Amino acid sequence: MTALTLAQTQHLLWRLITAPSGVADGLRALGDIGGGLPDGLESVVNGDPRLSAVRRLDIYANMYFFRLLDAIKQDFPTAVAVVGPDAFHNLITDYLLAHPPTHPSLRYAHQHLPGFVSEHRLSADYPFVPDLVKFEWALVNTFDAADAAVIDPTAFAAIAPEAWPTLRLTLTPSLQLLPLDWAVLEPWQRVQNGTQPGAATFRSTRVRTWRRDMRVLHREVPAEEFATLTAAARGEPFGVLCETMAAHVGADHAAVRAADLLQHWFTDGLIVGFDPS
Amino acid sequence: MFDPTTSRPRPLGCGVGLRTPHYPYIFEHWPAVDWFEVISENFMVRGGRPLHTLTRIRERYPIVLHGVSLSIGTTDALNFDYLTALRALIDRFEPAWVSDHLCWTGVGGRNLHDLLPLPFTDEALAHVVGRLQRVQDFLGRRIAIENVSSYLTFRHSTIPEWEFLSEVATRADCGVLLDINNIYVSAVNHRFDSIQYINAIPPARVWQFHLAGHSDHGDYLLDTHDHPVTDAVWDLYRHALDRFGCASTLIEWDDHIPDFPELQAHADRARRLQEQPHDRAHIGADAAPLVATDHRA
Repeated sequence: MTALTLAQTQHLLWRLITAPSGVADGLRALGDIGGGLPDGLESVVNGDPRLSAVRRLDIYANMYFFRLLDAIKQDFPTAVAVVGPDAFHNLITDYLLAHPPTHPSLRYAHQHLPGFVSEHRLSADYPFVPDLVKFEWALVNTFDAADAAVIDPTAFAAIAPEAWPTLRLTLTPSLQLLPLDWAVLEPWQRVQNGTQPGAATFRSTRVRTWRRDMRVLHREVPAEEFATLTAAARGEPFGVLCETMAAHVGADHAAVRAADLLQHWFTDGLIVGFDPS
Repeated sequence: MFDPTTSRPRPLGCGVGLRTPHYPYIFEHWPAVDWFEVISENFMVRGGRPLHTLTRIRERYPIVLHGVSLSIGTTDALNFDYLTALRALIDRFEPAWVSDHLCWTGVGGRNLHDLLPLPFTDEALAHVVGRLQRVQDFLGRRIAIENVSSYLTFRHSTIPEWEFLSEVATRADCGVLLDINNIYVSAVNHRFDSIQYINAIPPARVWQFHLAGHSDHGDYLLDTHDHPVTDAVWDLYRHALDRFGCASTLIEWDDHIPDFPELQAHADRARRLQEQPHDRAHIGADAAPLVATDHRA
């Protein structure tokens, strides 16, 4: 057999290392599609009586899967606790086939998991798990989002009243807004408390996650705050924020409630700038 | 930072890998380690605690950026997004130097997140040298390249690993991060002589040593970084010091991570060996191999 080029060698090894049932099955699958090795893997990889070529490559295959599984489990501890390690293992096996890592950093290997799990059969048994995975992934993204200094609330004192309707807020880049169908903070909190996760209640839940200094925080918020904050995150001016609020609490109460919210957002460190134009 | 008479970086002493479980201890005690090695990719993030932590560490210690995803051997195009992120880290934290591995980590746009061995062929040699030169041009600095542990070799390899590594370093004009544990692990797995490996590496190229523990899986050794450095690897390190002098030395520990003082004790042991050459049993180039090629023989 002619020696493989470097590129051929790498593509062959990638295919065998990522084969879902091990290198031997991967080799058989290659043969089935006409890309097999007539003289076996030993024609490419040295084997010896101590360790065959297949076993040597299987070392890499196992490390590939378990390194990724371990990394992903660390970021989704509640989801693992809910479905159990075996079901999570199977989920990640399926996930890696659909979404092999493409980013140089392991931190992004599971970036597609929130979307993937909602289509996965696991969600039939655990319908709240897709929302739970979304929440745990939001915490990861909040943890290392860009830094931004909170502005001094006194800066608003200089803004003329007539300028307020067009004022646009700049929110902290760490803010994540999650509209969820399930109250997944319940199992999350139980796991944090060291107890069994249990199930989540089917209840529309709106959550914001954000970072204050280095602390990752989250809070369930009422519908009117969520809608107004979502509008602010879209870059809508303060006048539109008030209209959004009015749609929830009525025009008579909108201005006062919006002013209240602004104060809360300052206190929480959500506002990092504003554009009066 | 570089010694103009040797073109090697000035030795930093003996350091340890910076790992998350040790942050509280470091910030409370500011321990007397000479330097920290930092996994570059862990800090290629937009903000938050990782960068804040590294900023505090850097204010007190020298650091070296050690990457795991450069993938210098892949046949994919160079990833300039990755290199741009690496250059930004370099500009921000001013490491003493930058290193990565002589390996490939993925192909076809997919990443295996592992350090895969290369076939040691003329094709691979030319490929790696050309890419290293482009990487160094882009970063505006020479980097060091590390030998990896391996569990397989290729039938079509034509060059011994130690010659391949030496040729890469010489032709690309880069440094070598010589991982003593990796030499030992691969020597057992592939039945070659560790001493022959070390004696083949040009001393002027060696910028740094790695020391770590491994696991014995019966039929092979696995580079797990989850055990203390073994006596056999310490012996090999003594030989490396005799041949290469006191290059900067780093203790790696990535799993079952001990308390910081135990890790620091390993760095202290390495330092004692550097400072007391009379304690090192001299093993010359003509001596019998220090490490049997089959450790269970």
